[in-house]
Amino acid sequence: MKKLRIRSRIVVVALTVGLLLIGGAISYAQETETITITVRARAKPPMENWRGDNFLLAAEELNADLKTAGDPRRVEIELIQDNMEWGPFLSEFVLGYGAGEAPDIWLTGHEYIGAQAEAGRIIALSEMLKEFPTFNLIIDGLWNSTSYKGKIWGIPQDAEARPLYFNKALLKKLGWSNTEIAALPGKIEKGEFTLYDMLETAKEAAATGVVEIGNGFWTRPKNGPDFTAFYYAFGGETIDSFTGKLVFDRAAGLKYYKFFYDAAQTYGSMGCLGLDWSGAWHPGVSGSKVLFWIGGTWQWAEWAEKFLKEQGGESYMWENFGFGLIPAAEKGGKPNTLTHPMAFLISSQSKYPDLALALIAKVTNYGPNTRHAIASTHLGILKDQTEYKFYKGSRLLSETLYMLDYTTFMPNNPYWGPYSTITYEALAATVGGDFTPQEAVDFVVDGLQRELGDKVIIR
Amino acid sequence: MKRKKQSEEGGISPLSTFLKAKKWSFSRLQGRLAPYTFLAPALIVITLFFFIPLVIVFILSFTKLDITNFGILEWWRPANWSLDNYVKIFTNRFFPRILGNTLVYVALTLAFFNVGMALLIALITTHINRRVGFAFRALWLLPRITPVVVYIMMWKALAGPAPMGIINNYLLGPLGIGSGEYLLNTSPWVFVILVNGFIGASFGMILFSSAIEAIPKEYSTASKVDGATTWQTIRYIVLPMIKWPFLFVTTYQTLSLLTSFEQIMLLTDGGPGLYQTEVWALTAYHRALTSYFGNIQWGYGSAWAVVLVVIGIIMAIIYLRVFKFGELVQEPKIDRL
Repeated sequence: MKKLRIRSRIVVVALTVGLLLIGGAISYAQETETITITVRARAKPPMENWRGDNFLLAAEELNADLKTAGDPRRVEIELIQDNMEWGPFLSEFVLGYGAGEAPDIWLTGHEYIGAQAEAGRIIALSEMLKEFPTFNLIIDGLWNSTSYKGKIWGIPQDAEARPLYFNKALLKKLGWSNTEIAALPGKIEKGEFTLYDMLETAKEAAATGVVEIGNGFWTRPKNGPDFTAFYYAFGGETIDSFTGKLVFDRAAGLKYYKFFYDAAQTYGSMGCLGLDWSGAWHPGVSGSKVLFWIGGTWQWAEWAEKFLKEQGGESYMWENFGFGLIPAAEKGGKPNTLTHPMAFLISSQSKYPDLALALIAKVTNYGPNTRHAIASTHLGILKDQTEYKFYKGSRLLSETLYMLDYTTFMPNNPYWGPYSTITYEALAATVGGDFTPQEAVDFVVDGLQRELGDKVIIR
Repeated sequence: MKRKKQSEEGGISPLSTFLKAKKWSFSRLQGRLAPYTFLAPALIVITLFFFIPLVIVFILSFTKLDITNFGILEWWRPANWSLDNYVKIFTNRFFPRILGNTLVYVALTLAFFNVGMALLIALITTHINRRVGFAFRALWLLPRITPVVVYIMMWKALAGPAPMGIINNYLLGPLGIGSGEYLLNTSPWVFVILVNGFIGASFGMILFSSAIEAIPKEYSTASKVDGATTWQTIRYIVLPMIKWPFLFVTTYQTLSLLTSFEQIMLLTDGGPGLYQTEVWALTAYHRALTSYFGNIQWGYGSAWAVVLVVIGIIMAIIYLRVFKFGELVQEPKIDRL
């Protein structure tokens, strides 16, 4: 009888505890609301995974903040990141928006801001930013890349330089001394080593068999931002600061196309257009078959991780590769490079833009940004980041940081896509010998006027 | 009279005839509706996924719908339609190159592989030991059943630069040919045709083989008795008797090649030089769906696709005339006796 009574008490206690737990859970669920924030990022695995992965850590921190502040909302992250091409990546966002399924946070190239802002698919952030002082850490100049029509539409996520790389071993074969090689970046910076000096060296390398014909100087194999830096080097402009319209400058364009025509037809270079990235381009430059080439700082990590790991990765590269700015067009001119910052944009379909921005604020800090910068060899975007203990650990980031002083950007214009397609087609035809430089300029002028009408200014 | 006879024989009389009839019953209605019920799913699928998209693509081809005005431009309004896209295509500086590439690609792949090689394999494998022939044909099916991305990766490995590239390393290198370049850069057309041809040949191979197997053995036996050579047997007995599959394979594969681009996209993406291996369907894809900076022009790309459809229809009509399709589908005269 006594045993029965004890059992009954245990059952009563267990039931009470159970009910309390269930009640507590229900009450907690009623008090808190879990919100899914979708983050869509383009990232090359494994180097660039921190672009999205940082949000997973940031969500925990934000939930702690929300709890402390008595805010019943909690966030969970739906992260989608892969290495999709830019064109399909853009289509996905636009069509996703059309279907009402745009992600809350879209991490993309800054040059899409103009078109998306005009279409109302992203929101202006200028006012909201004031609530998060961490955004003051971002280097002031980078905000230009995310501004459009006087408002800020995105938060810079990373930056990079696009240096002129050179192969030290091949220069030595050509008779250059270690001292001369070490002095090259400095000579480029002072404008003493120009683009045509580079072509002369490339021609000599091809003539003496140090490299094969076509391999003296390479650019990227397909359309992309790098070519714009060359157009700027010859005095070209892409945007009219007064009207905000795109600009094509005939005189600068002629010099620009003549340079690439000469490179391919006279100086034994530019055997690179149309190459498969991983099948031929990366093996070519990392396999010491090319003397000079334009690449990005992020490719340093790619070569070390994917192409030269067996040879010793970065230590092999420091021994064999060097880099400087893109040389000036003329003696004494200013060298340059181009930065293509990625930016976090918030969709106008996001129901909780405040939470999305709070998450972006969390990843815009020394720890998260440095993790991405080091793993992917992108440049930091924060003031004094070079003083941050862990950032200092990367030699490449430290040695290329000065390039930001010479950097240029692509314009945030909605019609940059057609502009870029037409100017690149002319370049590829020039390199292939289909167009003379003048024909290339005529083709561009005709194409831009036909495609964009009064949306472009021809000078 | 003829219709009544068909109905009596179990043929399908039109639903309208039934509705006009005086005596209705549920079971009779059910019987009359049954065939249409079976046809309905296919009709719905074709309408949803073929006719409606076709009409939309046709309308889009007259608009300037692109990534910059998506959601803004009311493309369905006739006020926003024009022939500008078609003018742009035919005045495009690279239009002759793209058209030429397409014709070369279709003609060479068709002649050497999709019909030529297919016929050759079918003839050989039906004239040797049956099991060996079957095994050989099964091998030729491998490119078709291999996922296209894997298949293209294999070809890239074959064409790779020395020392990684298999052809360079084990064939050209030992023979002292070339300097180990990436073969997709030096001979892109060879690979474009080989890659597509190896897949395409299997289709014709299967149809030709079965058609040859279906020819009564008596014919070839009789020809041998008459002293015909193997070539004469093929020329005067086999080829005339596989005329129908020959027409079908040629027509079908021409249209298929005209619209195919996925292998080329994965292999060369139209390069290595500017539009060097770019075919019509690939241009439509590039213009409508992809470009580096997202210069995506759905309207313009649709116009390229519509012109391709027109080219395909013209080609089909030409084939039907050349092969005298009408005569081929006539009822066999022997059945009238």
